[in-house]
Amino acid sequence: MTDDDALIRAAQSGDADAFEALLEAHYDTLYRFAYKWSGNPADAEDITQQACIKLAGALSSYRFESAFTTWLYRVVVNCAKDWARAQGRHVGEALEPALEQSGGESANVEQRAFLRQLLERLEELPEGIRETLLLVHAEGLTHGEAAAVLEVKESTVSWRLHEFRKRYRLALDGGGIEL
Amino acid sequence: MNDDDIDQQLRAGLDGDIPSPDPAARRRAIAMAREAFEAEQAQVPESNEEKEKQNTAQGIPGWLRLIFGQRAEEEGTMTTYNPKLMYSGVATAAVMAVAVGLALQTQTGRELTINLPGVELETEEDLRAPSGDADEALARSTSRLAPEVSYITEERRRKIEASALYGRPQSVAGAEDEGATVRLDIAGSGASVPPGIQEILAKEAAAGPQVAVTRSRQEVVQSGALRAGYVTPGTLPADVIPQPGYQEVGRDKFIAFEENRMTPVSVEPVSTFSADVDTASYSFVRRMLNRGVLPQPDAVRAEEMINYFDYRYALPERKAEPFAPSVAVVDSPWADGRKLMHIGIKGYDIAPADKPRSNLVFLLDVSGSMNSPDKLPLVKQSMEMLLSSLDPNDTVAIAVYAGAAGMVLEPTPVKEKQKILDAMRSLSAGGSTAGAQGLRLAYELAESQFDASAINRVFLATDGDFNVGLTNPRELEGFVERKREEGIFLSVLGFGQGNYRDALMQTLAQNGNGVAAYIDTLSEAQKVLVDEANSTLFPIAKDVKLQVEFNPATVAEYRLIGYETRALNREDFNNDAVDAGDIGAGHTVTAIYEFTPVSSEARLIDDSRYAPTLVRDGYGKEYAHLKIRYKLPDEDKSRLIERPITLQDGSKLSGDTGFATAVAGFAQVLKGGRYTGDFDYDDVIGLAQQTKGDDPYGYRTEFIQLARKAKTAAAMQPR
Repeated sequence: MTDDDALIRAAQSGDADAFEALLEAHYDTLYRFAYKWSGNPADAEDITQQACIKLAGALSSYRFESAFTTWLYRVVVNCAKDWARAQGRHVGEALEPALEQSGGESANVEQRAFLRQLLERLEELPEGIRETLLLVHAEGLTHGEAAAVLEVKESTVSWRLHEFRKRYRLALDGGGIEL
Repeated sequence: MNDDDIDQQLRAGLDGDIPSPDPAARRRAIAMAREAFEAEQAQVPESNEEKEKQNTAQGIPGWLRLIFGQRAEEEGTMTTYNPKLMYSGVATAAVMAVAVGLALQTQTGRELTINLPGVELETEEDLRAPSGDADEALARSTSRLAPEVSYITEERRRKIEASALYGRPQSVAGAEDEGATVRLDIAGSGASVPPGIQEILAKEAAAGPQVAVTRSRQEVVQSGALRAGYVTPGTLPADVIPQPGYQEVGRDKFIAFEENRMTPVSVEPVSTFSADVDTASYSFVRRMLNRGVLPQPDAVRAEEMINYFDYRYALPERKAEPFAPSVAVVDSPWADGRKLMHIGIKGYDIAPADKPRSNLVFLLDVSGSMNSPDKLPLVKQSMEMLLSSLDPNDTVAIAVYAGAAGMVLEPTPVKEKQKILDAMRSLSAGGSTAGAQGLRLAYELAESQFDASAINRVFLATDGDFNVGLTNPRELEGFVERKREEGIFLSVLGFGQGNYRDALMQTLAQNGNGVAAYIDTLSEAQKVLVDEANSTLFPIAKDVKLQVEFNPATVAEYRLIGYETRALNREDFNNDAVDAGDIGAGHTVTAIYEFTPVSSEARLIDDSRYAPTLVRDGYGKEYAHLKIRYKLPDEDKSRLIERPITLQDGSKLSGDTGFATAVAGFAQVLKGGRYTGDFDYDDVIGLAQQTKGDDPYGYRTEFIQLARKAKTAAAMQPR
């Protein structure tokens, strides 16, 4: 973390090498999140690339008030949301490659496909559920950390997760994903 | 099921294997971000003038590189016209810079919609009430409202995005006037510049000019690009030059097709296909190769690559018989014992005095996805170039579509050029794409000026994404087809990359009797809209179909290189109701068959043991018989041209035939080289170099460079 801080300060004072080193260190984290969000490498690359470019302009506004990773998550979540909005028209099309990509041999392939499908539908749900889910369940953040990333109250995070469980349970019981 | 179970399932489901990021993508992202970062640093307000200058100086070549693709960097390709274009490129870059500045200063990310009586508004965002001092100031700075244009503030995210893409979030005006409506005069006062921009220009001018952007009008006119001269002399403000580099990737769509296979003459002696003069595939391939990436195989259509080049086939003499076929049979350079049969057609070229009047409607996509330097700005420049190819009495109207469709310019004679240019320059991008609605409006405009003796044509410029309204391709096709029958044609100019929908664009153009061209650089716009304006504008023959019957006495097997997406059924040839490709004035069309003579050892397919081969006596000197059907533009009954292709058509692999063969070989190697054996990029380069001949526009030289790039890209590609 302290390494990061030094790099951030150097980058904030205009050191491009430091900025690059910072990206090198965090690209994979950003990519991982973007991959989980989008479900396929091409889109994940897109989102990550936009996040990196965005960081170029935004880094100067990082004030060390929150952990850098929290702040990074915030940037990539926003990029992913922007991306999803831009792609909103393609939702149906995006689904298929995502399903293919999730291929593999394990038994949870089916489950992942199901989830993926569910997540696609989640766009029709109250905003914020998707990123909340990913941060908490996929990235392992605590409710508090997720709340910090998303700049919402911790109770909102909990509510969102609850809301999702409710629908997930319904979907399972109904044998389909009638959200 | 309790909460913990669900959470566990979720974790298991979400936390699956994540492939590690592609190192190339990673490098690219970081490099782009670094570039953006450096640009950002260079723009910190307290930085000294020196730094700003540097940035300006870097910005323009960056722009030019973008505009010209890789061309401008390489020696030898600039010989004839590029220096002039370069200046106009600088000039347009300046125009664009101002435009971008406008967008940034007056709130990036407003959605352009246009209010017209009778045109329904269908925006995603609601119109909001006008408010805010800044907006009033802006409104005051502009005047008369011809068509009424509203910029609807989109969400803040677009602003953030734009500032990330173009650097310098500080230059984006504050959020205080978010949610306001600003009115700008579109047709009347395109030249008026908001105060913010004036300040920047004044400041920069005071800092001393670094790049002269004005050129004598005449020189620019000669270059065919009528754009310079409007630009404020002085420098480009560094902070309004967008950073090139942002690209959407990976969602370009192409129809999947399988290469034509070697077919035994004894089974299917007849091959039928439609002419194709599109060149979009070549431009797309070039774009990918210039980025150092091999194109996806489905993006490579051999016939479009071959037909990108002009060949000096014999010209027909009379308009009534608009073309004469040229035939050459040569040895195949990639397979011993096989031969290539070239069939070339050159269309009759219209004399300037015979040109019909043109009634054109430009339908421009101004949706959010066009908000990229290689899209809307290039569209505007291309349209301005097209303007230079028109006669003063031709009329031009402009319609746009985004969240809603609207008319920006009523049909206006080309002699009122300034009015047209002003309208064009005032456009900016934002919103989703109600393409179908725009298409309807464009046709209505064309109908309002319909002239049976003129060419009535809609030019659609888009990145191909029609996402609101009538989006079913079939419905769109039907619509375009009906309008074609009423006498209004459609040409499609494709731009940008990322969500380019090639198939839809092709279909629309085919149904609209027009060309589909892909404009990747300013010089491509020059080629399509100026150098080849006659071909683009004036059809000389429609529904051109070719049919070749092979002689089983001399030919064992054959395959047509390319034209997979243009194949017709044998019975379609004589059926005038079946639509086929069209040929414009001066167009050349080349088709190449590869075939194996009966006597050759290179045969891929053995004779059938049981089926008898029917051979007619007396035709032992003929390889095949060629038939071409076409209709004159204003006729419904087709005419027929036919000729045998004989041993006497044998020729050497040289000149145009050799060059076309090199291109055909290149296309096939790019697609995986199923039939081309050991023939590789080096052979392509060698053959093309030997045969490129006179190359006045540098297109063939560029081809050789592309082959080199393909070789490099292929070597980098993990196989």
